[in-house]
Amino acid sequence: MIVPILIRTLTRGAVYALLASGMTLLFGVAHIVNLAHTAFFMLASFGVFYFTSTRISQVAFDGPGWPVLPSIIVTIVAVTGLGLLVYRFLLDRVRQHAQVVLLITIALAMVFQEIMDFSFEGHSRRIREPFIQGGVEILGETVSYQRLLVVGVVIAVMIGLWLLLSKTKLGIAIRATANDPEIANLMGISVSRTLLITMGIGTGLAALAGVLTAPLWVFHPHVWMQPLTMVLAIVVLGGLGSIKGSVIGAFIIALVENLVIFLIPQYGYMRMAFALLVMIVVLSVRPGGLFGTIFEEERL
Amino acid sequence: MLEAKDVTVRYDTATVLDGASLRVEKGELVGLVGPNGAGKTTLLRAIVGLINWDREVLKGTRMEDVVLEGTIEFEGERIDRLSAYEIAKKGLLLCPQMGRPFVEMSVKENLLAGAHLCKDKQEIHESLEKVYQLFPRLRERQKQMAGTLSGGERQMLAVGRSLMRRPKFMLVDEPSSGLAPKIKDELFKRVQEIYQELGVTILLAEQDVGFAFELSQRNYVMSRGHVIAQGTAEELLKDETIRSTYLGM
Repeated sequence: MIVPILIRTLTRGAVYALLASGMTLLFGVAHIVNLAHTAFFMLASFGVFYFTSTRISQVAFDGPGWPVLPSIIVTIVAVTGLGLLVYRFLLDRVRQHAQVVLLITIALAMVFQEIMDFSFEGHSRRIREPFIQGGVEILGETVSYQRLLVVGVVIAVMIGLWLLLSKTKLGIAIRATANDPEIANLMGISVSRTLLITMGIGTGLAALAGVLTAPLWVFHPHVWMQPLTMVLAIVVLGGLGSIKGSVIGAFIIALVENLVIFLIPQYGYMRMAFALLVMIVVLSVRPGGLFGTIFEEERL
Repeated sequence: MLEAKDVTVRYDTATVLDGASLRVEKGELVGLVGPNGAGKTTLLRAIVGLINWDREVLKGTRMEDVVLEGTIEFEGERIDRLSAYEIAKKGLLLCPQMGRPFVEMSVKENLLAGAHLCKDKQEIHESLEKVYQLFPRLRERQKQMAGTLSGGERQMLAVGRSLMRRPKFMLVDEPSSGLAPKIKDELFKRVQEIYQELGVTILLAEQDVGFAFELSQRNYVMSRGHVIAQGTAEELLKDETIRSTYLGM
């Protein structure tokens, strides 16, 4: 039983980590709590579904039937582009007003949901064929290549994100802006541009998560709500603005969910409640979250 | 090189700067002295574009009525409508009060942030070496988080961070504020070195009149948002009213 728990924890935790790190990054740099973050995840799942579907292959949906790779690339680019437009024309204007940001982003998520409901006739969807066929046996448990792909891509992306933030000029500009935007200005850093790029990275990570899980999980236009609750819990559990905290928080929450599913399957439908209970207990002991610290070396 | 004419800054109904003017020629080290609340920092903020930044930050709030009037020219070009980051590109840099390092980044990363506009890696490496020679303590602490530095080290880091850009003109805001006499002396020597050896033009805002007068060639005296006098240290000290009323000497 341990192996399937670990495998599913790794997959789910990896997806949560991808979602939570994008959200916490945007919060850490721009102090924006983007409640539409997981709606971009939902849009990406529908995007890759649409581009890969044909009338025959998917539940009678008439898409262009493109191969997988171009579909993934176009979806990620399109969803990231949408995120950039949302930031440039909406969030950038109101980013100083936290409550307005919350209202606008939750409203946007609902708008995206309604549009998807209308466009895809309100049905639940799933990409029938995994991106990579087959699987491998690990300790007696067959693990699909699709799950391994998710874990591998997420590890690579997380390493890439760490390198970007700690070793590159853009990363230093992003962290300088997170620390003190007024002084970042004086270094010749365009704060608006840096925040726009950060939004692009965050939305890109959400889109990647949506694309990777499309063949694993059933999705529908309301699928952004449950991950939003979990991602908010993870971000707060890890410590707002801490990427390291978000990654660790993601795996803790995923582990709790899978322990409930496997050990007390009759209460499997309560997995979220158990995970959120863990968050409440941790926060009551450490209100700043696991890694709600002052210094960035701990953040990364 | 830098000329501010009749600069007025208002936040809502509060006039913080009221028609202040000054001029600094290339190669000068000019002092800007005056008591707390005289408007020195606001004038420096206006010059480097931070009043425009305030306007952007306060947009949509009850404090959004931020007014900057008058003209500011750098090397013959008007800069008072530019954003702070665009002004930094022109080589006009501010070392803020208390240093304001990026506290969650290491000393070295702070210095690299200062070199944001430099594209040449060799140039960045040379600038880093130059800063470390000027402030050996920063080399010793290069991996340390800037938030753990002492007040003097933060000030050194702020000056070093600005030097990474190889500025033409530096505005230094109260570098000696809150520092122990020994650290103050060290900083004094470094500012002198930056001016004499690196040829950077400097406008130095100071409450410590002795510190400013000893370093600068001439000075402006500010009070209640106005520039009320200018001259060399000797000239200003000869005027009994200025000496007692505004310089507290």
